[in-house]
Amino acid sequence: MGAIDRINPVAAAVYFLAAAGIAMFSMNPVILSLSLSGAVCFFFIKSRSTGIKSHLYSLLLFIVMALINPFVNHNGVTVLFIMNDNPITLEALIYGIAASAMIISVLYWFRSFTEIMTSDKLLYIFGRLSPKLALILSMALRFVPMFGNQLYKTEQAQKAAGLYKEDNIADTFKGKTDIFSIIITWGLENGIITADSMTARGYGCARRTSFSLFRWRKGDFIFLAITAALFAASLWGTMAADFAYYPAIAFSEADYRTVTGFTSYGLLVFLPSIFEIKEALRWKYLKSKI
Amino acid sequence: MNVIKNRNIRNALKIIVPFVIIPLLAALGSAAMFEKRHIIISLAAAAFSLLLFSAGFERKATGGRRMVIVAIMIALCIVGRFIPFFKPVTAISIITAIYLGGEAGFLTGSLAAFLSNFYFGQGPWTAFQMLAWGLTGLIAGYLAEPLKRHKLLLLIYGAFSGVIYSFVMDVWTVLWYNGGFDGTLFLSAVVSALPFTVVYAVSNLAFLWLMARPFGEKLERIKIKYGV
Repeated sequence: MGAIDRINPVAAAVYFLAAAGIAMFSMNPVILSLSLSGAVCFFFIKSRSTGIKSHLYSLLLFIVMALINPFVNHNGVTVLFIMNDNPITLEALIYGIAASAMIISVLYWFRSFTEIMTSDKLLYIFGRLSPKLALILSMALRFVPMFGNQLYKTEQAQKAAGLYKEDNIADTFKGKTDIFSIIITWGLENGIITADSMTARGYGCARRTSFSLFRWRKGDFIFLAITAALFAASLWGTMAADFAYYPAIAFSEADYRTVTGFTSYGLLVFLPSIFEIKEALRWKYLKSKI
Repeated sequence: MNVIKNRNIRNALKIIVPFVIIPLLAALGSAAMFEKRHIIISLAAAAFSLLLFSAGFERKATGGRRMVIVAIMIALCIVGRFIPFFKPVTAISIITAIYLGGEAGFLTGSLAAFLSNFYFGQGPWTAFQMLAWGLTGLIAGYLAEPLKRHKLLLLIYGAFSGVIYSFVMDVWTVLWYNGGFDGTLFLSAVVSALPFTVVYAVSNLAFLWLMARPFGEKLERIKIKYGV
């Protein structure tokens, strides 16, 4: 549990959409490098347990995607070398690096987002938007482990009855298909019972409400306000920062407007990391006082 | 989603969104202003269509039994996605649509995409995946009668929707990478995604071949027994 886990889910979702949204629709290298470093930094702080393998995979993806562009796109004036009568240009390479930085940073934002959005938070948000969809989602989420459990039970029962064996591929396939078929029938019958008991308890009599522990606290409003302000400032600032990749790299001079935009976006992406670090330091300080 | 209380405004929105806002967005997208930003337009169009559908669903009175069955189908899709080289989402949403109607098919496909992406990686592509799988179900719902009668037609539809799904996701890849559409990039995306396209088409085909009849019989039985 960190600082961001305790923020109201709606505020957290707005934050992630703002941070990833600007990165998605901007091709400015400053914005993209800020977004990439912020997203990776936060993900590292948030989940230290994730193995190095998935990060290596991201790095590989980054390199491959960066190299695709110069081989299919031949715009640009600075020719690096010629391959198959096609010029490989520096501009196309830089564009490829920028595009893959954008994609990888958005991937990391969404990974952190998925880590934070537990199913209760998801249902809280959906319960607000559409109670009926939230009901279907919560039932589906509950059925997944239930099916897994029942799958195991059915397999054991079939084995005990001598109807299931895994001697060769054909047997395994037949056995699995049979069990799947049993599960479907069982699931449908069981679902009807669930539905009947819902109706018996008055489902559909009035608008469905949902209970959740999340409240809007003062801190949530402050977080939301800071996010909104930084988002607006960075949008306003980056609109002024022109950056062209083709035919030659060209960008507008830095003025107070673009600098404001970049600074506020930098603050925006590092906001949750700052919160987490602050929280960790405070905990350490409190512990040392005991 | 009864956010808008006035019935007239709601009805007007129902017509304005698909027939005015989305074409307007497309027109704006082709205008010079958003020259390299077709991705915004396509994402907005996808999000609007999903919102429209969920708003329509929210207002209708759907029986509890029907909703539980849709939830079961979604759970089956999610469980099925864990089996390697076996992508049953399209097939299950087609079967659901044939026996329970297009709306149920749309819900199964789109919500299965949404929920299972919490295990497989959520991203901006989720909106496209939801729309692609949902539409596969919705269209199957419209074609329910012929698909139920002719198995060959069902198999062709399954294989075809697997290929179309893969192409739609390739368009998305190119839009995301490049901002705008680019023929060469699309071609290279299609070629590099070819193994996936084949897996999609073949697994849809195999699943529908093996499961359409027994699965359909079960749903039919539930429908007759309990009057869903």
